[in-house]
Amino acid sequence: MYRNAEGLGIWEHRGKVAAVGVGHAPTTRRWDGRPETCVGAISIQALRQAIDDAGVAPEQIDGLVVVPDTTTGAFWEEGKPLPMDVIQSFQQTEDPLDGVAKISTEWLLANMPELTNVQFTMYGPTCMSNALNVTAQAVGDGLTHTCLVVKSWHNFEGRYYQGGANAGEALPGTAAMSQLWGGPASYGTALQFAEYCRKYGKSHEMMAPFMENSRRNGLMFPEGYWAQHRPEELGPEDYLAARWIAKPANLFDNDIPIMMSGAYLFSTAERAADMAQKPVYILNHASSNTRSRSLLPTLDEVEADTARTARKIYEGAGITADDLSFENMYDGFSLFHQFHLEGLGYRGIQFGEALDFYQTDISIEGPNPVSPSGGNIGSGRSRVWMHTDCIQQLQGRASSRQVTGVKPEVAVSGGPMPLGGNFTVWSASPD
Amino acid sequence: MTKQGVLPDSFSQPFWDAANEERLVIQNCRACNRLQHPPAEACRECGASDQLEWKPVSGRGTIYNYGVVHDCPVRLLQESQPFNVSVIMLEGDPGIQMFSHLPGTPVDDVPPGGAVEVIFEPTANGQLVPEWRVIAG
Amino acid sequence: MERQPRLITVEDEEWPVLVLISFDIDGTLEIGDPPGVLTMDMVRLVREKGFLIGSCSDRPLSGQRAIWAAHEIEVDFVVSKHMLPDVKAQFEADVYVHIGDREDLDRRYALAAGFEFLWPHEAVAHPHFHPEI
Repeated sequence: MYRNAEGLGIWEHRGKVAAVGVGHAPTTRRWDGRPETCVGAISIQALRQAIDDAGVAPEQIDGLVVVPDTTTGAFWEEGKPLPMDVIQSFQQTEDPLDGVAKISTEWLLANMPELTNVQFTMYGPTCMSNALNVTAQAVGDGLTHTCLVVKSWHNFEGRYYQGGANAGEALPGTAAMSQLWGGPASYGTALQFAEYCRKYGKSHEMMAPFMENSRRNGLMFPEGYWAQHRPEELGPEDYLAARWIAKPANLFDNDIPIMMSGAYLFSTAERAADMAQKPVYILNHASSNTRSRSLLPTLDEVEADTARTARKIYEGAGITADDLSFENMYDGFSLFHQFHLEGLGYRGIQFGEALDFYQTDISIEGPNPVSPSGGNIGSGRSRVWMHTDCIQQLQGRASSRQVTGVKPEVAVSGGPMPLGGNFTVWSASPD
Repeated sequence: MTKQGVLPDSFSQPFWDAANEERLVIQNCRACNRLQHPPAEACRECGASDQLEWKPVSGRGTIYNYGVVHDCPVRLLQESQPFNVSVIMLEGDPGIQMFSHLPGTPVDDVPPGGAVEVIFEPTANGQLVPEWRVIAG
Repeated sequence: MERQPRLITVEDEEWPVLVLISFDIDGTLEIGDPPGVLTMDMVRLVREKGFLIGSCSDRPLSGQRAIWAAHEIEVDFVVSKHMLPDVKAQFEADVYVHIGDREDLDRRYALAAGFEFLWPHEAVAHPHFHPEI
């Protein structure tokens, strides 16, 4: 399913698979405990919206790809009574937390009786980026001709990543070798950024224009959290005044955990031509399964892998960096977006140049749009906005966020981390 | 600063037993003569699972990188915030990293590239853990 | 508007006391997310008493200013959570108080900066917020 080697040539299904429908459920900061808003319910909502958006009948759908994990840091506390009123509001699976703290294909199909013809199901673990690779390959291989793909997030009360092992008195021996020192989630990225700044003579302050741009774009993303709930800008003073989490990563360099669900409908290019929205063609998908030598990736490892990933992206799509209209690489920790940019060689920038690039016009109105989706910084923790934006931009329906300084023809999105990850190349035309 | 305790599992037991004897050992593949850390069930280079051993290392290294944690998710460490977390690269194989709070080094006053030596400190349940101290001079 | 110290009576003598109150927003004020128990009228009350007031929050500074402007409350400062030492350095008061709902953030930063700390439910019952005192 995954194209994680160089030298594979043009993707065999280049231009023959298309994304058509987009669906998003409303976001919230945390789950309020009601059946209508649990992660399963919002997943159904997003899927149904994607079906409607594509203008297909539910019985036409023969495939479903799901990201089963719906959190990285918010867990149902051990010993806490299960929300039986919520669980019993739905058709259940063997896992009582299905639909509450995870989602399965079984749970979704049991609770979406209109999907009468799904023959193919598969999981794309962890991220929508992974699930998109699975979906594109599955449609291309003929395993499914009209396939839904969904990624959802839940968020419970309490602080993210706190609780569980972090609240305990002791750790298992193998985990302790890396976890005893208490680095928060952004610690590894913060260190790579620190090394980058020392190597290239840059500073954290240089991130401010990127942050301001990302939040600006996010406020033009009506499906996103900040636009829906707290339409606050993030100017340089705001950003630079924030407290450190793991210096040099501050509060706003970390995305805000939310509840959300995003879904797409993929099909063959042939079938997509008759659907309700303009098809967005997949030129390639690429993956990296590189692991660091030791506890944390070094900057050298990051730069080598982002460059290698870019070569895979371009090779399979039959394009070069010059063909990119814009990029929507991942930004969950803002401090690694530049590694993706530099690896891509976006607009010709070399290693060490991205922060200088941020000081130029990176707006959606300019010739070099950076993260027009606004990403997770702009709309909250989802790992989905980047893909939705690519589809909407290339369909010409990104509304006030539509890029105007470039003609939206080809884009790339993906992540999450600079080492490893999954990436998709999107195009307004199949050629 | 008191770290969480450690409950050695069968896989990591040799590492933690050595630490209690104030010895630093790292997993090594005899076939490749290649260290790896964190340890794994097989060599990440050649895939051999029957060639792994625990090899003593010199206990010296350099500070490769560091950050300062101001908002830590680990409850036991929160009262010690802010604190340094440094990445140490081992002498003899700089590809091998270990974390350190750099006891004795002021917060945010860490010398990148500085020479360090291993020391052993007790955790909350008495298990000793390798830590690193800046070598003066 | 220059803040005037309040006069308190101790053993038949009047003493001027200038109080500074720092408010967390989310989980503390009624307009926060989640909403807290302190109302904006309570904030207005201490403003009218002549206290120095402001917010100390993880919200962006511009966002904090927008909140106060929307509720037509003039504040003396808006800062990020870790900036209470700057507040203490900038404003000379007799009493510094921070009100917040988080042990790991509000209480820790407050005590480290030499502020007194009140949980929201404590603040509601405190004489600072009593209209007659």
